[in-house]
Amino acid sequence: MSSLPNRLPDSSGSGGHRASRNLFFSLMCLLLLTSPDFSQLPASLPQKEIFTDVTEQAHIRWLQFSGESPDRFLIETMGGGVAFLDFDGDGLQDLFFVNGGETPHGKSLSPVHNALYRNLGNGEFEDVSAKAGVDRVDFYGMGVAVGDFDNDGFPDIYITGYPASALFHNNGKGTFTDVTDRAGVKNAGRWAASAAWFDFDRDGYLDLIVTNYARFSFDDIRTCELNGQHTYCEQKSYAGMPLTLYHNNGDGTFTDVSEKSGLAKLVGRALGVVTIDVNGDGWPDLFVARDASPNLLLINKQNGTFEDTALDAEVAYDPQGAPKSGMGIDAGDVNGDGKPDFVVTNFNDEYHSLFVSTSSPLYTDQSVPSHLAAYTKSFVGWGTHFIDYDNDGNLDLLIVNGHINQVIESTRVDVKYQEPPLLLHNEGKGVFRDMREQAGAAFHSGHRARGLAVGDFDNDGGVDAVFTRLDGKPVLLHNNVGGGRPWVGFDLQGTKSNRDAIGAKITIQVGKRKLVRWVTGGASYLSSHDKRVVVGIPGDTTPAALDAEILWPNGTVQRLAGLKLKRYNKIVEPTRNDLRMQKR
Amino acid sequence: MSTTITRAHKAWCANRLTLCLCVIALLVVPGFPASLYKIAPNVPQESEAETHLDQGLALAKLGNLASAEAELRKAVALAPANADYLDDLATILAMEKKFDESNSYFQHALKIDPRDMAARRYLAANLWQTGRYTEARQNLQILLKANPSDAQALLLLGMVAENTRDYSTAARALASVPSLVRARPESIAALARSYYYLGERSKACAWLDELQNHAAGVRAVLLGAQIADEMKDYKTAERLLSSAMPHYSDQTELRYRLALVKFHAQQFDESEQILEQMRNDGYMTSEIDHLLALCFQKQERYEEAIHALQEAMQLDPGNEASYLDLVGILLTQKQIPPAIELAQHMAKVFPDSCPVFVSKGKIELAASDYTGAVASFTRASQLDSTSLEASLGLARAQSNAGMTVQAKSTLIDAIARFSKKAPFELELGQLLLREADAGDKGAEVKAEQLFDAAVSHDSKLAKAYYELGGLALRRGEAGRAATLLEKAEKLDPLSAKTHFALSRAYRRLGREQEAAQQVALFDKLKNRSAE
Repeated sequence: MSSLPNRLPDSSGSGGHRASRNLFFSLMCLLLLTSPDFSQLPASLPQKEIFTDVTEQAHIRWLQFSGESPDRFLIETMGGGVAFLDFDGDGLQDLFFVNGGETPHGKSLSPVHNALYRNLGNGEFEDVSAKAGVDRVDFYGMGVAVGDFDNDGFPDIYITGYPASALFHNNGKGTFTDVTDRAGVKNAGRWAASAAWFDFDRDGYLDLIVTNYARFSFDDIRTCELNGQHTYCEQKSYAGMPLTLYHNNGDGTFTDVSEKSGLAKLVGRALGVVTIDVNGDGWPDLFVARDASPNLLLINKQNGTFEDTALDAEVAYDPQGAPKSGMGIDAGDVNGDGKPDFVVTNFNDEYHSLFVSTSSPLYTDQSVPSHLAAYTKSFVGWGTHFIDYDNDGNLDLLIVNGHINQVIESTRVDVKYQEPPLLLHNEGKGVFRDMREQAGAAFHSGHRARGLAVGDFDNDGGVDAVFTRLDGKPVLLHNNVGGGRPWVGFDLQGTKSNRDAIGAKITIQVGKRKLVRWVTGGASYLSSHDKRVVVGIPGDTTPAALDAEILWPNGTVQRLAGLKLKRYNKIVEPTRNDLRMQKR
Repeated sequence: MSTTITRAHKAWCANRLTLCLCVIALLVVPGFPASLYKIAPNVPQESEAETHLDQGLALAKLGNLASAEAELRKAVALAPANADYLDDLATILAMEKKFDESNSYFQHALKIDPRDMAARRYLAANLWQTGRYTEARQNLQILLKANPSDAQALLLLGMVAENTRDYSTAARALASVPSLVRARPESIAALARSYYYLGERSKACAWLDELQNHAAGVRAVLLGAQIADEMKDYKTAERLLSSAMPHYSDQTELRYRLALVKFHAQQFDESEQILEQMRNDGYMTSEIDHLLALCFQKQERYEEAIHALQEAMQLDPGNEASYLDLVGILLTQKQIPPAIELAQHMAKVFPDSCPVFVSKGKIELAASDYTGAVASFTRASQLDSTSLEASLGLARAQSNAGMTVQAKSTLIDAIARFSKKAPFELELGQLLLREADAGDKGAEVKAEQLFDAAVSHDSKLAKAYYELGGLALRRGEAGRAATLLEKAEKLDPLSAKTHFALSRAYRRLGREQEAAQQVALFDKLKNRSAE
């Protein structure tokens, strides 16, 4: 442009002038035609999307079957568990999907089966369900909890459902055996939802907490209408159920200690559970999300019993004293104070809840100040998990949503039947920002999403995710950004503690910041997650190595120095004699 | 202008007061004996105007008021400054219930002759009749200043005062003219009601007892019982009705009223017995079935209540109240699908009824059909723009349907229009609080201002104090929160959420024992009907 004349030549002049003008105009046209429109150029280069839907590339073709029928059984709207697990011990996270099932008038053209997808390591997965022997159960499937209950190094699978649940022991050779009856964990007659493995008595064996939802039967056909159409009855019309707690006897059998533990009297519609040490006494506690029943904050009394402190802790009800419709739940330190906070997903108009640990009361509802309320008012939330997707050291939040009522859009203008997931970036101290624009295509469309699991399936340090959809294919999301920042991974193995190290607490100091993470049991909705812990390193300068402190579930404290970044550090629980600084 | 008053005219004037009071009686008490209605005798013609006057009076005597009016208009046209002619025309117009025009002629007559007490008395009666009590009172005060013992004026003043709730003046005025009061059941009723309000119950009862053997018959007894019932003196009401029964062969109305009194006295089983006996005796009316249904409802026998209302509807398909009560019961019993069906049927049967569409809207809200509720409440508001329930329901439905902008507009408009602003201020404040939760920081401030306004307009609005307390709590002002929530608790001790919020406030203040008490109350109340 600078080579062009500053002034047009006089057009009334000679043909030479005209020629100059024509040249000028020609050059202008050329520029206009070939140059980009400068006003439309972005201020910076376009960013890659945070998550990419790689379901197709991964060859995941399984379909969830809800059994949707004219009878409108509530269970049809509620299934969809999913798990990340390394079932064959090859260091790669595999996937397990729990299917729903047929209902009396909701039949499938082909057999309804669960799916176990083996990670081939190249971004692709292979369906090995039938070979593995976990593809069929004789009940309507709901959720999954993965845990190594016999500490043999291979994760086992507990599938929840109605009117039974099942435990599949991992034989270690790529196959599973149904050991439900022998183990005594059938939970017969109940509609079970989420389950979680945790060692409540710290004897080194994983026990099992099962949330039961509601009194239900396929013989109990109800007629509820909305806008003249037969639809699902609201959950309050179904009576709640007590929790089930199984104690692991250490010999492949379990004992139902629901009564003894005090949990049997806590009747309500329980859907989500996470196990974590709430009060810092080293013993695992439970937060149970319940649907139109008050949430439970069950503090481990260290004697085999639990005490519900939800009311005093101000997490049971909303500020008006009404129970919300709690479905999914997760725990994590969202504001960096070293104490666990909780997120619970709820129904539309209730907004999802963020309970942040304070001193008095024990928790404060920060849903509004965190902006979570603003982002979630119109959504029905299910699976949820804290993940540091960008590895900046702050826990972000992933939530999947979807309504249950097909006719909702005929009665409301602001609530949709299919709803997009939410990726919320933690700006610091637990204040969130919606990352919808950059999150990826999957976040721009609506789904009937239910289960959500997180895990690093390509071991690049970017925590990936997968969510299920009713009567649809799941969505596997690859994290494109996390691996680009410094991170440190922990792959813990208990020896005296349970082998999965569920209940372990990891503390890292990075400059002035203390980062605390836990290996939790349960979390999200009906789902189970990669047991490894990825901790993003905040700040602009990257340390060459890091020190960490691990509080093992049995109470052992281990201090580690020189942990390498951008890799998973395999850490085995030391014996008493090994408790010294270990250079790695 | 002729100032001569003919003899006939004087006689006519003397009887005009009686005539006016008869007008009052005729208008207030239908079917009153016609013998009290007297007209002046014929008079000889003296002028053309007088001829028309005489003809007019004669026609009035025959009951031909329209023609009488025409004649008197001619008389007035010929002698427009004749106060008497103006008075006579005004009287005829009053008898035709053309009160406004009648008043203007009386006022014109009084401009010509301000000392015409008769005209002023008749004007006052007209004004009372048309509810213009202040003006009626002004004219009566002029009369009584001129003659403090003007009995008719005192009677009328008593009636006017009672209508304007000035019970002490009413009692004083009416008690000063006992014979006039005694002659008319309505006057007795007015005096009795005044005594009730003044706390002079025994005097009230004594006067109501006069109705037992009144010449007006059973109508007087029913009126007396109604007054006692209204004033919650159920024993007197019962006594009046029971004592009257032996004297009347047709006891239907008396028995029904007795059942009604028992219902009001919360003696639902006794009320039920009377009504059942009436049915057994062959009296099948929709009123009986309707009241029976309400008795069942109060005794929580909802299926029987539903059945009785269905029978009432069959007997009188045009009785809207039966439909509305039935829908109400179905709603409280959460029988939503039949409630919806009935509401849709009601809307077809009563397409121009605001209460019906309000009821339909409430059902649709309960059924979460918010867009349907918007349509119903919109229709209700169109049918009656003064209906507070319709406007409030519309705003609520719009808000629930996600139509927030429209909901706000409805509420802002209602706050401007309605004198009873507090419910709308509360609702708008609650809507803004939800917006505050969604991130609008300014909305919380505006919400608080609205709650403050609501309590200033209605100091008994418990929910507004509750919201103010909640705001204080979320700001960490536990002490202030406790004070406000305690007010809310006093006004509405059955509100579970108030006890819940108060427990949190006490807990934050370290008042653990009180917090525990509030939690206990919350636990006890939380399973009651949703707030």
